[in-house]
Amino acid sequence: MLKSLFPTLGRFRFTVQIIMLFVTVYGGALLGSYTVDRVSQALPSLSCAFDKMTGDHCILIVNQHQLHHRVGEALANAKNITLKVFIPTLMSVGIFFMFFFFLNKAFCGWVCPMGTVQELLRKIGLFFKRPLHQFEPGNVGRVRPVKWLMLLVLVLGLPLLAGMGVASNELGDPFCQVCPSRVVTTLLTADTEQIAVRTGTNINFFLGALGNAMFGFIIIAALAVRQPFCRICPLLSWNALFQKLSPMKLVKVDSHEKCEKCGVCEKACPMDIHEIGTEFGKKAFHEDCTLCGRCAEYCPDDGVIQIKFFGIALFKSSRDYYKARVKHESPEGTKKKRVIPIIAKPTSNNG
Amino acid sequence: MKTNSILMGILLASISVAHAAEHPMAASGVMPAGHDHAAMAGAMGMEGMGRPRAWTELPLLKTKMSGANRENTVISIAPQNIVAANIDAYSNNLKDENAHRQLPMEMAGAKLDKPATGGFQMLTAREEQAESVRVASTVYYFGERGAKNPTEMFMQQKNELEIIPQPYPREHSRYRANEDWKFLVRFNGQPLVNQKVKLETSNGSKVEALTDAAGVLNLHIPDDFKRVEEKKEGAGHDHGMRRGADLVVATEYVDGGKTYLTAFNSAYGENAYDKRNLAMGLGFALLGMMGAAPLLRQKKTEKKPAQAASDKKEEV
Repeated sequence: MLKSLFPTLGRFRFTVQIIMLFVTVYGGALLGSYTVDRVSQALPSLSCAFDKMTGDHCILIVNQHQLHHRVGEALANAKNITLKVFIPTLMSVGIFFMFFFFLNKAFCGWVCPMGTVQELLRKIGLFFKRPLHQFEPGNVGRVRPVKWLMLLVLVLGLPLLAGMGVASNELGDPFCQVCPSRVVTTLLTADTEQIAVRTGTNINFFLGALGNAMFGFIIIAALAVRQPFCRICPLLSWNALFQKLSPMKLVKVDSHEKCEKCGVCEKACPMDIHEIGTEFGKKAFHEDCTLCGRCAEYCPDDGVIQIKFFGIALFKSSRDYYKARVKHESPEGTKKKRVIPIIAKPTSNNG
Repeated sequence: MKTNSILMGILLASISVAHAAEHPMAASGVMPAGHDHAAMAGAMGMEGMGRPRAWTELPLLKTKMSGANRENTVISIAPQNIVAANIDAYSNNLKDENAHRQLPMEMAGAKLDKPATGGFQMLTAREEQAESVRVASTVYYFGERGAKNPTEMFMQQKNELEIIPQPYPREHSRYRANEDWKFLVRFNGQPLVNQKVKLETSNGSKVEALTDAAGVLNLHIPDDFKRVEEKKEGAGHDHGMRRGADLVVATEYVDGGKTYLTAFNSAYGENAYDKRNLAMGLGFALLGMMGAAPLLRQKKTEKKPAQAASDKKEEV
């Protein structure tokens, strides 16, 4: 029954994503206005507090406010910096980790509404036969540091400086002001307030204009690039800080001679993590991984890549599964209308 | 690769945000416009400072936050236009010792401590005479993670005639001008149909409306900040600070020769689109879309002979 409903991991993940899109964007309307105050308020995905219908909101807005209003203010007033100042922040991180512990970065690949919207946009791009732009091993490394800069500057640095009085108070939540998820999720509730640029001050205007331009860029780029915003999302880097601490992991064997000439998993990875094909063991679970599981789905050999929880394999690559999977969809995501013969030779590029 | 260079552009733009910290607004103490604390200031009783108090004759409960820091916050509740010996405070945590507290009046008003569980506190003051009962009510919110759902607490009967928010704005939300909010009006637990309710604001608006068949008032909060702004000639501009004002919703009902008057007051903020520009917002979004448009063009790269042969094989 379950297998007929969800014949592939991809179908199962897509179903979860759609359900979570409704929960994160419309959950408050479905479950009651006060739901957002009572779940986590520290979700490891870009569920937006500015969405009046949201069921819960992401940890980044909490981090920014706490650094701005508690830590920064305490530092500025030269008060005793006691544990009490940090308790709310520690509480937020603790609650975040309670959720994160079980799903790890699957919050990015399975729960985040912004991730789901970008995947839906790519499906639209495929429908209109738009090309796929992928990052090559030589240039993907230039994009990866951006997510850390976003975290350090927009989520941690500026809010702290604003709280200390060094930067303007308007920079208390700069990431939220440029976050495309704020615009996307509120537009999904037919609320146009967040796409209207603030004109009160120059900083308001600058951040609003930057955020809207980024939103527009991401919406179009997602038609031809898989997960364009995820690559620079500070929540990806925030989650990466904790990914080794969760029992949910992507696991790859310590060596497999066919990997060198195959590379199908690299093509399947929506984050262009080439290390999944070239590295082994712990190194294969890269900081950019969103645990979407596509690499395991498209690995043509048995048990080479697995998603494990407490050492138990929840999903593992298999040749039979791979054969069935590529009949309907290419590693890059293109749907196939005809039955395509599988190239059996495992050492070829097509596996 | 184009994708790469454009994403790098975003990086540079995000770094430039750091330079915005040098704006002269820095350290000015202006409330941040990026989120809703200015309106929360209204709820904390800070926004009304300097404004004439007698903007209404209806009973009010004004809350004011003071204290050296967040850990030592003290909330004082000052009744206006009503004489009450104490304030009743109802917590959204119905099962703890703070579920219902009677706060005695002191010189600066009744003192409200933050319960450990935080959350919503419904505050009421009651003045009873031989032929009349007057009630003032408001809500104070202590931000606290995991606070219980306050719906049951709001729906508990506290007085004969009641105005109950349906719902009260949750965290990161608030009453705002030009928005519709619902209130249940009931007497002894029974909804009052076609009951006249009046709204007054500290910005000078006075509006009357009727409840529907379910006793629910759909209240449109007037967009009256601009009118106040126009009156303040030469007041100088407000550096983008988001303002707050007060509103009070009241109704009167006669039963058994006794007149009941109940008022519910709260802070409200500006119209969501004040100091915002939708057209410009769409313009910048369009600009971003144009920046990404080249990515949609088909690739012009020629296929290698081996790849072309492979594709041909797949098409068989």
